[in-house]
Amino acid sequence: MIEFTLNGRSVRFEGNPLTRLIDVIRDDLGLTGTKEGCGEGECGACSVLRNGKLVTSCIIPVGSVAGDEIVTIEGLRDTDQGRCLVDAFAEAGAVQCGFCIPGMVMAAQALLLTNSHPDEEDVRMAISGNICRCTGYDLIVDAVLLASRKGEGLW
Amino acid sequence: MVERCYVPKSLEEALSIRKETGAHPLAGGSDLMVQYKQGLGITPVFPFPVMIISSLDDLKGIETLEDGSILIRALSTPAEIASFEGMPYPVRCAASRMGAVALRNTATIGGNLGNASPKGDLPQPLILLDATVVLKSQDGEREMKVDDFILGSKKTALADDEIIYAVRIPRVEYTHVYYRKIGTRRANAISKLSLSALARVEDGVVVDFRAASGAAGPKVIRSHETEDILKGHGVDEMDSLMPAVLEGWNNAISPHAMPEYRRATTRRMLEHFLSSIAAHQEGGIIE
Repeated sequence: MIEFTLNGRSVRFEGNPLTRLIDVIRDDLGLTGTKEGCGEGECGACSVLRNGKLVTSCIIPVGSVAGDEIVTIEGLRDTDQGRCLVDAFAEAGAVQCGFCIPGMVMAAQALLLTNSHPDEEDVRMAISGNICRCTGYDLIVDAVLLASRKGEGLW
Repeated sequence: MVERCYVPKSLEEALSIRKETGAHPLAGGSDLMVQYKQGLGITPVFPFPVMIISSLDDLKGIETLEDGSILIRALSTPAEIASFEGMPYPVRCAASRMGAVALRNTATIGGNLGNASPKGDLPQPLILLDATVVLKSQDGEREMKVDDFILGSKKTALADDEIIYAVRIPRVEYTHVYYRKIGTRRANAISKLSLSALARVEDGVVVDFRAASGAAGPKVIRSHETEDILKGHGVDEMDSLMPAVLEGWNNAISPHAMPEYRRATTRRMLEHFLSSIAAHQEGGIIE
């Protein structure tokens, strides 16, 4: 049995430890905010935080997160930091089709947790593993910089 | 096929499982989970038993030992390696440019060596620095050079009852150092070609010179013969010795695909480093 924390709640998983973390999150726990894109850890759509650090949940077996704290977009959404990010993405017009956005927000959160005042280059580096096919990234970069300004003191 | 997956709780248990079942260690999973993936929403299927060792504290952590060498335990991630104070420049560069943010929080040095891909990023600077790998089994441990551990593409000297415990980088003094990875983009680029090099110049004499080529053959390439051409000679002899060094290096590498490109580009990188030694005798990072 694998035990870990998901969005602050303790979770027990009794199936195959090689089950991908994303499948546990989406299928077993019903949290569908985390998206699957490439399935190879290349596109960032399935990004979640493990112990505060960004990881792609499609290439992580659930057996490797025993004892870890996982946060998905659902866990971030209703926090002050999450609301600030969501509002900034909306205000900057950073969302088109929206598929990459949960992963983008998690990548932005991972950045702001370690660097609350990033510059543009820091943001571009932080989201470099998250692919967006709509926006051309500029508006997403604007959104993260806006969140950092408006959320002064939150991170 | 009976699929078996173990999740050991301690290093001792892992070594016991390894010996009894031959289960392959899965550390970060960033190579194995992709290699054996079955598709969207489906659990990967492995053709061999697996043990997930990601949570073993005995395999975590990086420290500087008394003799100045750096011990990097197997589960250390590229992000941890890149941010460790005192990490030699080529290793820091290689680690900080692997994949993108999430990959650098997931992959491990043990996995990167165990997978032994010709395009793996960490073996190249480790072999440059004569790093060793520490292997553990129930019978004890042994230590060998990374260069001897990696036998070829996807082949290592790991015995059926061993797991990779750590990598140790000896303290290496250098005045000039170079690292270059050529990939198609800044993030998530698989190395097309890479080269690291270092030199120690004392009183105008080249005391040490080394180079290591990645993705230019089935494994990382060093050529001690070629390195010896420069050692003991004055920096003022560089112009006359450079053709022999470049030719020796060209003979040492064995790129399989796109050999003209890889030979020409490797030659240019090495030539740039060597001419920079002569031009900047005070030393530093050659970019």
